[in-house]
Amino acid sequence: MMRKVLLLVLVVALVFGCAQQPPAKPTPSPTPKATPTPTPVKTATPPPFGGKKEVVIGVIGPMSRAEGTAERNAAMLAAEEINAKGGILGLKIRIVVGDTKLNPDTATAEFRRLATEEKADMILGGFSSGIMNAMMETMAETKTVFLADASSPGHPKKVAENYDKYKYWFRVSQNNGTTFAWELAEMIDFLRENGVKVDKVYIIRDEHIWTDAVMANLKPLLEERNVSIVGNKPLPRGFSDYEPLLLDAQEKGADVIIPILAIVNTGDVLAKQWAELQIPALLAGHDLAAMDPNFYEKTGGAANYEIFLADGGALYTSPPTDICAKFVENYKAKYGHYPESHEAYGAYDAVYIYKQVVEEAYKAGEKNPFDPDVVVKYLEKHGPDNPIKLTRVVAWHKNHALVWGDDYMRNWLSQWQDGKPYIIHPKIAKAKLKLPPWFQQ
Amino acid sequence: MIDIAVRIIIYGAVVSGIWALVASGFTLIFGVARILNFAHGTFFVLAAYIGIVLAGSGVNPYLATLISIAIVGVFGLAVYTGLLSKIKEHEVMVIIVTLALALLIEQILLLLFGEHGLSYPTLIWGVVRIGKTPITYKRILAFIVAIAVIAILEYFINRTRLGKTIMAASQNFEGAMLVGINVDRIFKITMAISAMLAGLGGILYSQIFAATPEVAMKSLIFAFAIVILGGLGSVRGSIIASFIIGYVITIAINFLGAQWAEFVALLFIIGILVVRPTGLFGVEE
Repeated sequence: MMRKVLLLVLVVALVFGCAQQPPAKPTPSPTPKATPTPTPVKTATPPPFGGKKEVVIGVIGPMSRAEGTAERNAAMLAAEEINAKGGILGLKIRIVVGDTKLNPDTATAEFRRLATEEKADMILGGFSSGIMNAMMETMAETKTVFLADASSPGHPKKVAENYDKYKYWFRVSQNNGTTFAWELAEMIDFLRENGVKVDKVYIIRDEHIWTDAVMANLKPLLEERNVSIVGNKPLPRGFSDYEPLLLDAQEKGADVIIPILAIVNTGDVLAKQWAELQIPALLAGHDLAAMDPNFYEKTGGAANYEIFLADGGALYTSPPTDICAKFVENYKAKYGHYPESHEAYGAYDAVYIYKQVVEEAYKAGEKNPFDPDVVVKYLEKHGPDNPIKLTRVVAWHKNHALVWGDDYMRNWLSQWQDGKPYIIHPKIAKAKLKLPPWFQQ
Repeated sequence: MIDIAVRIIIYGAVVSGIWALVASGFTLIFGVARILNFAHGTFFVLAAYIGIVLAGSGVNPYLATLISIAIVGVFGLAVYTGLLSKIKEHEVMVIIVTLALALLIEQILLLLFGEHGLSYPTLIWGVVRIGKTPITYKRILAFIVAIAVIAILEYFINRTRLGKTIMAASQNFEGAMLVGINVDRIFKITMAISAMLAGLGGILYSQIFAATPEVAMKSLIFAFAIVILGGLGSVRGSIIASFIIGYVITIAINFLGAQWAEFVALLFIIGILVVRPTGLFGVEE
């Protein structure tokens, strides 16, 4: 045994010994040679913007929903158009995509990936207010310009209350919960002007932070108009058993059933059940699903007469600007259909807004126009007196909420009529109100 | 008040009938092959999506319904033959594999269709009024079809030779083998029937409501809860439990609001199981 151990030690010692390098011999110093004086070379101009080679734009949203795919598609279309004309200050745009899966953990991880791994100069999108709250923290931490979706008034409030932290956030897609309430109240005025009695309303809404804000602002507006709320039903995501609610609304004598729905995502089922039961109350409110150009087909035609707010300030049948008219046709040419969600308009505009302010900063002599703080400074120059006219007319308040109004951005009152959605009020209306044949007061 | 009572009775019956189909399929395969199939909700939602795609391609909706139920039956058979037959002795493995399959198919459906709810084409249009309560024909159709299929299932199991063979295998499969019954064939047939029951439930459900990838998991949870309440392995217990739960949900929606319905139903099930751990019709093993 002892012999074996000794043998093993010997073998190890030999192997180890052989592995050692022999001691280095002193190397004779070479004879110094005369160094030729370097010929003065023309120094190359330092690459612009710290060697920046591309502009990276992140798109974040729920990619299994129309809101997410519309954002991605629209951003890619804008990037293609801009790249075809030389990019932003000569740099090509690269679009990178993150999927929130409508989950705050995933959303923040994806935002961080886009900001830090992909080194996004700007991120756009972010459907859903609760998810937005979470992502705003990552945005603040990574100091990333965020041209955002979602509609809770809580987001611009954060900017107002803690500007230095949240200043990188700007709303682009649509107005916020406060303005939705104004538009719903205006809808009631419009219906009354058209001879519809509106004394009682029945509200069906997302059980979600954004509708809390709408309700808080809507209640006093309804009281002012002597309209009573006979039902106020918050619904969980994916809910689809609307019939008991519709019958409840009928029983309580509601004149209008007001959906305030975005997250539930089953507005087509609501329209089908409302039309099939021929509930003697108008279906009129804010149903995001009704923005889908295929909504009529999805409901088997039951969408007819549904009144809805065209969220995001645009509808493909009544584009509010020339750019919007071109955009919807280009979108259709590229993807085979009109924008499946209003987020498309916001995403398309966001890319062009970013291009515009970066170029404005450059022209003004900024050394690095891509610096997030510089971008924020130039975005803020677009207040109510200096709007940016793209697919909609975009301008911001000091808290980075969008300016609301007929001449800026607002949700247009629209209605499905004979298979197409038309704006019926105000200003750019293309059709007049039509009442369902079974609706009699 | 009478209108509310009418509404609860009719609406509760429809929902109960659909869940009874799904739960009886779930309990059937457990009772016969001792397979806790966590992909049962997948059959439910898959039939709806196949039918929606077929009908969208121009196939007559009734024919699309029959084809999609048949496809799901074949898929159930394939799942048994390809996966479960090899691991059915290991109950935990069966749960893991079927759950993984369910999640995999949910992700595929999400990628293909998104999470937006899709409605099955309405098989029959129209409304009948009972008092002031309008009832759509499609709800009536769903109830009639569900009850008819459950009645046929009862007849099949208790009166036909094949049904009695299935019952024999469920009571003692070793004994069944000894008397020459091809138990593996019985398991395959039961799996196909179980999948088709779930598929039919999914089509009836998505015709009234909507199919989403997440509904697979929801229907599984409901089927599982109902089966436990009725007593694992008891088809009759599952049917009765389906009606209890269907009515609890409908009453909760009417009086408390939709957001409370599932909470109340699951609380109710837990309450009963605390008092009677074997379920309403289960027996202690």
